Amino acid sequence: MSPTVLIARKEAGEILASGRGQGWLLALSAILSVLSLLLVSNTELSLLDNAQVVYMMMGTVTALGALLAVALGSDAVAGERERGTLVPLLLAPVTGTEIVLGKMGGQVVAWFATYGLALPYVWAVGSSGQNLAQAVGYLALFGTPVVLTFGFYAYGLSARFVSVRSALLTALITLVLFASPLVMGPGLRDNPIGKAFDAVNPFSAALNSFDSVVIDSQPFTAQAGRLAVAIVWLALSAWFAKRSMERTEV
Amino acid sequence: MLVEVTDLRLSLRGRQILEGVELHMGAGEVYGLLGPNGAGKSTTLSVLIGLRAGSGGRASVLGFDPWPQRREMHRVIGVLPEQAGFYDWMSAPDYLLWVASLYGRDQLAAQVGRRLHQVGLDPVARAPIATYSRGMKQRLGLARALLNDPRLLVLDEPTNGLDPRGRREIHDVLISLSRQGVGVLLCTHLLDDVERLCGRIGIIHRGRTVVEGGLAQLLARRQARSRYRLRMPEPPAAAAPFPDFKVIAREGEWWHVEIGQTGHPDAVWSALLASGWAIAEIHREGGGLESLYLSLTNEDLKA
Repeated sequence: MSPTVLIARKEAGEILASGRGQGWLLALSAILSVLSLLLVSNTELSLLDNAQVVYMMMGTVTALGALLAVALGSDAVAGERERGTLVPLLLAPVTGTEIVLGKMGGQVVAWFATYGLALPYVWAVGSSGQNLAQAVGYLALFGTPVVLTFGFYAYGLSARFVSVRSALLTALITLVLFASPLVMGPGLRDNPIGKAFDAVNPFSAALNSFDSVVIDSQPFTAQAGRLAVAIVWLALSAWFAKRSMERTEV
Repeated sequence: MLVEVTDLRLSLRGRQILEGVELHMGAGEVYGLLGPNGAGKSTTLSVLIGLRAGSGGRASVLGFDPWPQRREMHRVIGVLPEQAGFYDWMSAPDYLLWVASLYGRDQLAAQVGRRLHQVGLDPVARAPIATYSRGMKQRLGLARALLNDPRLLVLDEPTNGLDPRGRREIHDVLISLSRQGVGVLLCTHLLDDVERLCGRIGIIHRGRTVVEGGLAQLLARRQARSRYRLRMPEPPAAAAPFPDFKVIAREGEWWHVEIGQTGHPDAVWSALLASGWAIAEIHREGGGLESLYLSLTNEDLKA
């Protein structure tokens, strides 16, 4: 078995079996339960179009996945350094790239656990509406590169910063900035700066695609440019993580 | 030679950390790397085990250039770092099995129990490592370092946290390994460990090797000169009137001095008193490793 797979299995086991990991899954369930309940029972929210509700759930799940990726990525190297486990890992006959990919493999498992947990909620709020199957597919298609982009980015910071706290804080600020389209009003997003930001922001690419597919029923061909934006960011952040790992000091 | 280091240099962020480290170690030798805190011992080790690149000089470990060939080198060396961390939620056997699997050699997994037993840990323990004492973790770190049958062991403070019996057991393991031809590079502050284990030592001070050689030869050379500690409330007004008399260091009222083979101590004291040295007490000092270490590393106290 390759070192990448071995590290990924260890990471996944640690994330899912540890008290911390199970606490995260429990918190995620609680957040999605409250949101779903509000969407179907709140007087004003329940008036939303069914597709709009699914769109909101997809954005929320992507943001929560990115938040988890940032938390895990920030801990990936700086946390190992703080706990004294980084040196033994670097002393094993494993390359920096294998360590990065192995640790990100753990994040992929964490993201799909989040995704799997979210599916019943998406179904519960959107089962009577349109494009539910597309919603589920596009959440995986766009959510995965967006979540992993933030995971790789936080990983890179973690390799460069001495403490988890510094890496986490920087990654969270970046995440809040990039996820701002979730809370921005249409007026802000329609001005030239908002439009330019939307064009290059992977979060906007995912949200606009969810909107386009679930609400406007547009085909996949209309999403290719947005998918390209998300993939370019994924490649850039992966390169950043690899470069940072090569420069890691112990 | 297992390890050959010549004029090793390292600068970090414009600061010179290593300024000429020398280290020469053969197969089956136990080599003690000594020096005060901040002298550059751990940095030297980090270069030798391929965790960072040197800025100058030459280093060869088992024939490998440690930085560019680190991955190949890591297959044949074992390292116990100063801060040996573990995945605390795993049990010791599970953790070592995971480490063994990273080497991609199935036979290493079969050695896990033997290695745990060798360092005095239960080979079938199911308790998580988080419940281990510091000494048990130190033993586990040694088991991890031994897992890949290394030709060279690099150990940073291996007996930290161990009780006297535990220290003795680890000493026995290291002596047995060295008899099998495994080289042991030992970095420690415990001079007892060095005197018991090491055939060869190097002392680093301020990033530079100040002495290197066989421990027995270094001590014999040192004992050719007699060392004394003098208490003098006032500094002497005049220089000592003997060519074979040397002030090594000063510590408050205490002066560490050496008299060569040509000078008789009684004659020296009489002459010093006559020339105005207000000597209140005279103590003979041992000529052991501690004395050698202190004289070579206590720059600030030198007169």
